Amino acid sequence: MSAPTGQSLHPGLNLGEEHGDDHLEAETSVFGFWVFMMSDLVTFGMFFAVFATTVPLACCPGPKELFDFGSIAWQTAFLLLSSVTSGMAVLTMKQEHGGRGACTKKLVFWLLLTVLLGCGFLYREISDFISMAAAGGPPTRSGYLSALWSLVGLHGLHVTGGIIWCLVIVVGVLVRGVDRRWKLALLRWAVFWHFLDVVWIFIFSFVFLGGLL
Amino acid sequence: MKKSKELHHYLTGFALAAVLTIIPFTLVATVGGARSYIVLVFCAILQVIVHFRFFLHLSFRGQQKEDLQLVLFTGFILFLMIGGTIWVLGDLYTRM
Repeated sequence: MSAPTGQSLHPGLNLGEEHGDDHLEAETSVFGFWVFMMSDLVTFGMFFAVFATTVPLACCPGPKELFDFGSIAWQTAFLLLSSVTSGMAVLTMKQEHGGRGACTKKLVFWLLLTVLLGCGFLYREISDFISMAAAGGPPTRSGYLSALWSLVGLHGLHVTGGIIWCLVIVVGVLVRGVDRRWKLALLRWAVFWHFLDVVWIFIFSFVFLGGLL
Repeated sequence: MKKSKELHHYLTGFALAAVLTIIPFTLVATVGGARSYIVLVFCAILQVIVHFRFFLHLSFRGQQKEDLQLVLFTGFILFLMIGGTIWVLGDLYTRM
């Protein structure tokens, strides 16, 4: 299944010929991860479907009382910026670790910046959850609130997982160097991280902004 | 040359995504109203395409067949499951 030169072996950023066997090895590993990512997308889709079939009840505070517009804007900005910095990280890995010169410091810098932005996102999200619960909108009050908390919470859990995964990669890269194992881990993690931003587009558009309209 | 092209790719994606984020936020903050919902849907779909194209490097050309089939099939499954759920429950709702 070897592809002609220049063609991508798998979806996502390819390492390229200068990485030798690592490039070829990435094909099955990253494609397999895409299969997982797509099944994860279906899971998110079902959470969205459940959310779409619920309506805010008169018993409890609705979207306008619960959502903090400024905080949603901050979370969106944090996540979009972190998507770009994670892109810078894989670009650094691709361009500077293809054999000769290697700049691990630069790679670690971009990864830690991504973690920082991810933590900023989580901080705002968790404080929103706390203030929502305090404003009379805990997940147990209505079907709408249950669907809202589980959809947004599932995304938050994914972000937490992505941050932990990124930190593991940082440690691995610092201890073992940027070898094949960590290159492939980085490629997969980048796909994961970009996907979280794609899911967030739907959340901020339909759940938050749609609710505030 | 090739290196700066790849960087440029990400930055183009970022600029497009930022614009497509700012439009719905500004709209909700200023105009509002049910009609803005169409713009929300439009911007969201466009931004998803931007992310797939510029951040996840997926395109209709130069891509292996299985890769696209995987993504398009997932899209089809999502359409069936979400569309079906909303259809069935929406129908029940109108009969209540």
